[in-house]
Amino acid sequence: MERISVAHLARVEGHGGIEVTFSGNRVVDVNFEIFEGSRFFEPLLVGRSWDEVPGIVCRVCAICSSGHYVTALKAVEDALGLEVSAQTEALRELLFLGQMIESHALHLFCLAVPDFLGYSGAIPLAADHPHEVRLGLSLKKLGNDLQTAIGGRPIHPVNAIVGGFGRLPDREVLRGLSRRLREALGQAPAVVALFAGLKVPNHSESPAVYVALEPEGRDFSFFGRRISASTGEVFDVHDYRKVTNEAVVGHSHAKHSRLNGRPYMVGSLARLHHWGDRLTPQAQAVARQIGLTLPTENIMYNNHAQAVELIWSLERAADLIDGLLAAGLTEEPPVRVTWSSPRTGTAATEVPRGTLYHSYDFDAQGRVAAADVITPTAQNLANVEKDLRAAAERLAGKPEAELVSNFELIVRAYDPCISCSVHLIRLARRNLVK
Amino acid sequence: MKPRVGIYGLTSCAGDQLALLNCEEELLAIVAAVDLRSFVMAQSNPDETELDVAFVEGAVAQLRDLRLLQDIRQRTKLLVAIGTCATWGGIPALTGENEVAGAKRRVYGGEIKAKAGFFENLPPSPLSRHVKVDLAVPGCPIEAEQLLQGLASLLHGDLPRLPKFPVCAECKMKENTCLLVKDGAACLGPLTVAGCGARCPGLNRPCMGCRGPSDEANFAAEFRRLAELGHDEETIRRRLRTFAAPVAASEA
Repeated sequence: MERISVAHLARVEGHGGIEVTFSGNRVVDVNFEIFEGSRFFEPLLVGRSWDEVPGIVCRVCAICSSGHYVTALKAVEDALGLEVSAQTEALRELLFLGQMIESHALHLFCLAVPDFLGYSGAIPLAADHPHEVRLGLSLKKLGNDLQTAIGGRPIHPVNAIVGGFGRLPDREVLRGLSRRLREALGQAPAVVALFAGLKVPNHSESPAVYVALEPEGRDFSFFGRRISASTGEVFDVHDYRKVTNEAVVGHSHAKHSRLNGRPYMVGSLARLHHWGDRLTPQAQAVARQIGLTLPTENIMYNNHAQAVELIWSLERAADLIDGLLAAGLTEEPPVRVTWSSPRTGTAATEVPRGTLYHSYDFDAQGRVAAADVITPTAQNLANVEKDLRAAAERLAGKPEAELVSNFELIVRAYDPCISCSVHLIRLARRNLVK
Repeated sequence: MKPRVGIYGLTSCAGDQLALLNCEEELLAIVAAVDLRSFVMAQSNPDETELDVAFVEGAVAQLRDLRLLQDIRQRTKLLVAIGTCATWGGIPALTGENEVAGAKRRVYGGEIKAKAGFFENLPPSPLSRHVKVDLAVPGCPIEAEQLLQGLASLLHGDLPRLPKFPVCAECKMKENTCLLVKDGAACLGPLTVAGCGARCPGLNRPCMGCRGPSDEANFAAEFRRLAELGHDEETIRRRLRTFAAPVAASEA
């Protein structure tokens, strides 16, 4: 028996490794090992008041903190039956777009592109390709500045609350951001040139099931209330457990998901697989120019799908800001929240790495009785292992260095967020009687 | 010779390492000024040898964290804790000494057939409980300004001076309306160490205490005041514990 392992994956968020066991050229076992420490988020939320939940649960992950924060707000509002104003929804979407721009720019330019061009990271890449790295960093900063304008800071936002915002963003700041977003859109040809020039390895390993939220309106969106699977099935978000079916495995602190017994993929590629035809003309043109043709079963194209979403997010954010400024931002009175009976609230959003679910049971005083958070990376783990196994079978007998670099490439294409995936799953229940 | 630097994450959300990557305009200058030996979140091929400065994010929450921390301490001249998890235990430490086993059972079920090295959880705790920490920069996440000033000081062979006074002082300097006085809000500004520019009260949001307590934090007085304002004891205790449970549990 021979073991090929990557002890600690670099350029991913969190701590994980890969171990593949061969017997001759036969693949015996494939483990995507997750050894990030458990933080038990769900149990520690039990007993907390509804208004404390977003600020605690966003600490699951820094990169997706705005996503966790807003999804928790939406779950609380679902429990209360509260609909927010169009202005609040638009500002939240802006916060999301800032996160999408920041996260995709970080992954593409700093973590993934170095793989394609043969560098160990963005820092050595910058020595030979300073323009590309600076472009990536400037887009990343724009995403962060957008999150700061709406949420108060780029990591762990504070300004969004149930029903609205602590303080509306400054109009001048928004005007400046709109101008910078349009300028960044002017950089689209540079993004196209970079991605169109990348040599994409073929890791079309096995038929894929893609899962993504259905946008609420006619346009592409990261918000939705129905879950669509490429098997043709459609679920209401309240029935998310029929999709995620989580189970504990012995080599991972994160649980694994299967839909009807099959692994599935969430993320940019899954979103574009379902709703790519709803993108703007400019984003669709970028997809064509960088050689992204859908459908595809080659996971390596997830990077390209992220690049398309990055361009779309810049355009959408600029349009949203211009719309908000034209309508005039109006102060809205804070929503008064009262709890009288136990309630359950569930919400889902599309965060950079895929569909994120939050679900909470509250007692009659609005305190958490049970919490469930299911992250995109946790859903993708079983699919990552499926792809790794197929690659190991195809590449068996190749030199170890080639195996390792191919395995790393596959895992990194998913843009895994390991901190997110490790928290906990089963419903935690505690009697809340004082 | 450029200082040899390593950047590490224990159990955490990676927000403090991300805060460094979020210094987009300074990042390339920073990496040019140091000899960056290890930063696994951002770069492959780490070189785990002797270091001048190690920056460590996260709480010690499993055996793996403890072994890595002890290894780093042996190899580095200075060890800097970055973020509230590393400084105070942070959110992970909300799962206390007696609760880890129960939380594990609730999350993962009873019997786990695990590989060696997996599911070896420890009660989450700050770095200083296990090794000598030369400097602790709190914040959830750390503030970019403090990080950059700290780096500049270290490059000049000095440790940075961090504020010891509470967020309340920064809030007064900004002439914000006091949310505790005006609304009777459970604002933790009087206890929490400054450095954030009183961001949350400036947005009409009460301080959650994400930076951990200041040196002179008077827990008893805050507790009394919030109780007078009508907040129930359980709520006050819970809010005080959020980011610095190991210290707040004994104080409040």
